[in-house]
Formats: sequence, structure tokens, C-alpha cells
Amino acid sequence: MRPGALVGWWAVLTAVLLGLFSGFRGFPAAAAREAAVADHAFRFLLLLATPVFSLVVAVLTYSVVARRGKGDPPEPPPYVPEHPWVARAWFAATAALAAYVIYNPGLVGLAEMRGVPVSAVWTGASSGVRLASLAGADGDLVVRVRASRWLWQFEYPDQQVTSRELVLPVGRRVRFEVTSADIVHSFWVPAFRTKIDAVPNLTTFLHVTPTRTGSFEQTVDLRVQCAELCGVGHAIMAAPVRVVEPEAFDAWVAQQGRR
Amino acid sequence: MRALVPVLKGLGYGVVGYVLGGPALGAAVRATGVEFPFDLELVTGSLVGTVGWLAGVGVWEVWARGWFGLPLRSWPEEEGVARYFRFTTDHKVIGIQYLVTFLGLLFLGGALAMLMRWELMRPGMQLLTMNGFNQVMSLHGILMIAVAVAVFLGGLGNYCVPLMIGAHDMAFPRVNALSYWLTPPVAILLLASLLVGGWDSGWTAYPPLSEVNAPGQVLMMVAVVLFGLSSILGGINFLVTIARMRAPGLTWSRLPIFVWSVFAASLLSFVVTQYLAASLLMALLDRVAGMSYFHFARGGTPVVYQQLFWFYSHPAVYIMILPAFGAALEVLTHFARTPLYAYRWVVGAFLGIVGLSAIVWAHHNFTSGMPDWMHAPMMATTEAISVPTGLVFLAALGTLVRGRLWLRTPMLFALGWVWNFLIGGITGIFNADVATDLHLHDTYFVVSHFHYTIMGGEIFALLAAVYYWYPKITGRMYDERLGRLHFWWTFLAFNATFLPMFWVGLHGMNRRIADYPAPLGGLNWWISLAAFALGASFLVFLYNFVVSWVRGPRAEANPWQASTLEWQVPSPPPVDNFPAPPVVVGGPYGYGIPGARHAAFGAAGGSEEACGTAS
Repeated sequence: MRPGALVGWWAVLTAVLLGLFSGFRGFPAAAAREAAVADHAFRFLLLLATPVFSLVVAVLTYSVVARRGKGDPPEPPPYVPEHPWVARAWFAATAALAAYVIYNPGLVGLAEMRGVPVSAVWTGASSGVRLASLAGADGDLVVRVRASRWLWQFEYPDQQVTSRELVLPVGRRVRFEVTSADIVHSFWVPAFRTKIDAVPNLTTFLHVTPTRTGSFEQTVDLRVQCAELCGVGHAIMAAPVRVVEPEAFDAWVAQQGRR
Repeated sequence: MRALVPVLKGLGYGVVGYVLGGPALGAAVRATGVEFPFDLELVTGSLVGTVGWLAGVGVWEVWARGWFGLPLRSWPEEEGVARYFRFTTDHKVIGIQYLVTFLGLLFLGGALAMLMRWELMRPGMQLLTMNGFNQVMSLHGILMIAVAVAVFLGGLGNYCVPLMIGAHDMAFPRVNALSYWLTPPVAILLLASLLVGGWDSGWTAYPPLSEVNAPGQVLMMVAVVLFGLSSILGGINFLVTIARMRAPGLTWSRLPIFVWSVFAASLLSFVVTQYLAASLLMALLDRVAGMSYFHFARGGTPVVYQQLFWFYSHPAVYIMILPAFGAALEVLTHFARTPLYAYRWVVGAFLGIVGLSAIVWAHHNFTSGMPDWMHAPMMATTEAISVPTGLVFLAALGTLVRGRLWLRTPMLFALGWVWNFLIGGITGIFNADVATDLHLHDTYFVVSHFHYTIMGGEIFALLAAVYYWYPKITGRMYDERLGRLHFWWTFLAFNATFLPMFWVGLHGMNRRIADYPAPLGGLNWWISLAAFALGASFLVFLYNFVVSWVRGPRAEANPWQASTLEWQVPSPPPVDNFPAPPVVVGGPYGYGIPGARHAAFGAAGGSEEACGTAS
């Protein structure tokens, strides 16, 4: 075994893959603050994973090429006792890497997703399930999402509007209050990169701040898609999403009100 | 034809049992004016039918008669094919029964996957209805879960573990046979569910959907509970066998690594399977007995099911993958002709995985509406599993880099396992990380991840192990050229199928859908073509497996010149395995160590003969 050759091969593989992945842009359309957080975490994980991936591939390919035996079966190589520090070092390195990944992008990404400090991710202070008495306190715009087999309905309580299309003003923090009339569904907008289940007898919460205007006609990533299996119509349980300028949103509300 | 008599009798008794316990009982109860729903009829009928099946295949003749003071009947001693079709206790027969049954179900599940890929080849509906697709997808899921749980432990575990520890059989041979004979009713009930409307809730069967859909769901629930019973019985059997029946001198630190992995998986299977049974029984009681555990209209809480279900179903993936780890490392070390690297660390890793796997369940529920505070700890425990898994990689890589590789078919599949499980493991981090999982959850990214771990990981290790032990089990050698063709074809087609699935998942294709947005059409067309190639590659395996068993050249006792005990007896081994218990005197993999040997045979009356010297 030639450690120099192996380490060199690992370095080359790592450099090539890092070059490929550092510019990774292969994401669907992104239209919300949460999407930027998710994509950043994804890209960061990809970069962290690269040296690990290339190490295994380097040893695998090196062994197949340089350690291939001759004969049926090959003569066993003379036994060299294991160096006890190799396994200890490996264990320490993987544990340290795992601990770092748990911290970043793990806890850091979770905190960014919720818009709270890292110290608050253990307390459940921001999104997700909340007592109904606290509802409505932390969003610029409240949208009540009601899922039923197999359609979506969006109610804007402050605007007194109900719609089958999800229309949102850009730049405002939206608080979705999600529930279901029958079975479990899941409220997912691919361009927002987040989802929450719609559960009967329960209101779940999700916060999203749209950052870019766009519509379903421009990209299918701007759709509400049911992401929890709900029977026959599951695949086509979708609704169009439109993110518009605040004035256009007000105009839309006014127009809905006149109907 | 006479060989099939017990199975035909089992089917007959099973049908009679179903009719008496189901429709007849239902009619009798209804005649008294009491309500007896059809769902309940399916439950009682299938339970009584299963008892009838068991009685018919031989439980009555060779076991249960004794409970009533009647003389037991024993099957005529024979080596022929008949012993595979009745309730017999030889662990080698049971291993082959398991292996062939579940390879058959693997092919059936694969055929269903082909149907799904045909439908998903283009946007819009072509072949199936949406309901039909959901049923095919659900059946594919549950069949493959059953295969993944049972094929390794039940098949190769049963066949090889007693041989590898120098025992003459399992600790409880009749319980072992019972574990196997409970599984055909599972398959029959799952397929019969199509006759009563099928079911469309996926293998996870989340309520409320699974409490309001077609009656086929009831048969699925009964089948899964029966399958769980079989798993628990099998788990107890392996634990006791490995703990109590090792040959003299075979200490825990001398156990072949595959035996350790079976021990770890059995521990999980014994401890956690009851959660699955509990969750499905509660859903079943909601359905047939008006209970309100999860039923929303009666005030139940659907998300509780999801927690309870994953108490089992996350550890279950380690019941599937641990024996695969063990088998892949076993093959890697024998074909690298060097001792397994970091053996003790790997054993620690297996036990660490057993422990950690029990405290990660809620990473399946990040988007379910569970309390916020659970996100961070469940993410942390899940990502911590990468540490013991990393030790498994250390063992594989350390063994490879210090070895002299012998690239035969089993070794090729074991190397393929390293590549596939590497991708499966790394993408698991993306699913464990909350910030990325909120998007990736329930998409094709997850579908690809678990196919990389279970198909690319477990099934590749299974194929490595099947080729490795093929000469031992069948007494014949498989065709090496076809084996290599099978490896390369399967390996390339597998990666061509599942790598692009990460992309379509990231790009908004959710799982379990019969149709998808048109822009995803191009890649799905490619994935379907690659999937057909992947499906076809298994025909090479089938051909090699069947034809070599009938016509392959006779295998010697130890064609791989391997050191462990199962190779020191003839191929196939005699009924009692060893003429006298072997005495183990050293570690299992003494390759390249001067004078090292694993065991010595004190053959009855003969001189002591060294074996497993592995030079």
C-alpha cells in the first residue's frame, strides 16, 4: 500500500468534485426567504459531504486497481497488526464532523428557517403547532388553509376573502394556519421549500415570507401541492400560487370583495 | 405432485377456516340481530383461515397432536424436494423456503415497480387509473418491506447462522418452522386484498385514510400483524441460538461478523416489532370496533399513529440493513484475503446502531405538526447514526486497502454495496437536516434515498451473499460469467434509475403520485427506461440461479477457501451439519497470520483435523 498515492488521488477527486458542486445551482425556482435558507443548507451539506464521498471512492478505486490479487484465490498478504490509533482517529473525526453538521447547517439552518436565534430552537417558540390562543400574533398576513379531498381553499380572514388560488403580496411575512376537513394532507409549495401537514382536528402553522413575484403560469414550482398520500386525487391535488406586488394584492382583494 | 399435498391441504383448510370464521360466523351473528360489519368478517375469517392453513401444512400432524395427548406423526425421512413443501424443522430447509419465497416476492414487487414506471414514463394517465396506481404503489411498498425484513434474516440467517456457529440447528426448530409458515398467509392476504377493493394508503397506512378506504385495507392490517408475529418469533430464535448454541471455544469475540449482525438485527426485531403490531391493531380496532384512537370524527388523534408507527418502522430499516452490513463485510474480508479490519469497532457500531435507531423515529414527522422542540433532538440523534455507520465503512475500507482482492461475483456485489450505501448514507443527512427536509420530505429525493440504502445497500449485499453461499446451499456452482454480467448490468441500471430521482425530487416531484407536472416529463422518461433495464437485469440472475441449481457443476466443500465453519462441511451440508461439534480455537478470519486457525474438528472416533487454516 502506498499512502502517498492514495492521499493524492483523494485530493484530486475532492478538488474536482468541490469544483463541480461549489457552483451548484440545480434548484427549482425560489420565491421565499425560506427557500434561500433551505438552498443554502443544501449546498453547504453538499460541500461538507464531498471530501467524505471522495475519500470512500478514492479508497474503493485505489484498492480495486492497486490491491487486486493474482490467483484463484490470491495468496493472502502477510498480516500487519492494526494500528490502534487509526480507528480511534476515524471515530473522533467522524464524531466531530457529525457534531458540526448537527450544529451547522442543522441547528443554524433550523433557527434561520424559523427566524429565531439558535438558542431558541429547543423551545418551540416560533412556528409549528401552537396553542390556538396565541394564534394570529406573529404574521403580517394570515391565510387560513383548508384542505379537503382533493382541493385547497384559502381564506384571508382580515381581508374577508376566500379563494381557490393562493395570492400573496411580496415581502410580507405570511402566517398559514392549516387544517383539514377530512384526512391528512400536506401543504407544500416547492418554490417556498417548506411544507406542513394539514391534519383534521388540529391547526398547524407555517411561516413564509415571499421574496420574489411570479406565478404558476411562469413556473410549476409556484403551486400548492398535496404532499401526503390522500387517495385517488392525491397527485392532482394542487392549486396555483401567485406572488404579486403589494398594490396588485390590494387590487386583487378589492376585486374579490366585489364578487 | 404428492410433494404438494401438505400445501394443498393447508390451502383447503385455510379456505374452510376463512368461510367458517368469516362469512358463516357473520351470517350467524347477524341472524341474532347483532351488527357484524364486513370489515370484521374479514378479520375473523383471515385469522381462522390462517389457523387452518397452519394445521394443514403440518402443525397439527407433527406438533399440535402432542398437546392433546395424541401420538405425533412424523414425515417420512427423505432428502427430496417434498421437504420444502411442508412443516419441517431443519434450519437449512427453512432457510431455503424463506429465500425462495421472498425472492419470488421480490420479483413480484419488481414487476409492480415496472407497472408504476410505465405509468410514470409520460405525464398524464396512460396505463392505470389513479386509484389503480395507488393500489399498485401500496402493494409494491408492503411487499418490498416484507422482502427486505425477511429475506436476509429468514433466508440466509436461517441457513448460515447455525452452520457458522457450529450448531446442529436453531434453538427452537418448530418455532422456526412456524415463523416461516406464517409468511405465506401474509402474502396471500396482501394479494387477496385486491379482491375486496384493494387499499391505497401506501405501506405506512396512515389513518384517517386507512380507516375510511376500501376493505382491502383490513386484510393488509391483519397481514402485517401476522408478519410481525413471525418476525418476533424469528428474533427470539436467533437471539437464543446465538447466545446459547455456539460451539465450544466460539467466544463472542470470535463470532463471524455476519452472525453478530444477525444478533443485532434480531435484538431490534424482538424489541420493536410490537409497536408496529400495536399501531396497526389500534387502527384496525378504530375500523371494526368503533374505537377512537386515531379516528378524527370520534375525537381521535391521527398524528399519534405516525409516532407509534415509526417507533417500529425506523428501527425496522436497521433490521433490514444490519444483516446486509454483516454479509457485505463477511464477503469483503474473505475476498480480500485478510482479516476484517477494526472487528471490535464494527461490533460496537452494530450495537450502537441498535441503540440509536430507537431514538430517531420522529425525523419522519418533521412536517407532521408535532411539537417544535422535537425537531432539534431528533435531527441530532439521526445525524449521530452516521458515526457508527462510519465505522462500518472504516472496516470495509481498511479491509480492502490491506487485502489482495479476488474479484469474483460476490466481491463485485460487495464493492457495489460500498458505492451504493455511500450515496444512500450521505443523502440521509439531507433528509435528517430540518432546513432541507421540510422541502425534501415526501418527495422523490426520499424515494431515491431509501432505494439507495435498501435496494442498493441491502439487496446488493443480499446478492453478494447469495452468490457467496450459493455453492454451499445448492451444492452447485453458479455461472461466473453470467454472475459478472448480472453485476455490471444491475449496478449501472440501478444508478441510472435512482440518481436522477434525487433531481426530480428536489425539483418538486412528490412521492406516491400517479401523475406529475409536465416539465418533469423528460427525466421521468429516462428513469423509466433505466428502470426497465434494471428489471430486466434480474432475469439474468433468475436464469443463473435456477439453471445452475439444476445443471451447474458440483461444488466442492470450500470453493472460496474461506476460513469460517460453514465451509468446513460438505456442500450442501448433511442434515445434522457437523459429525461432532467443532472446537473453535481462534478468530474467524486468520488470513495471512502464520499458524492461525479458526477451528478443529474432533470427528467422532477420528483424529483431530485442522480446518479453516486459510493459507
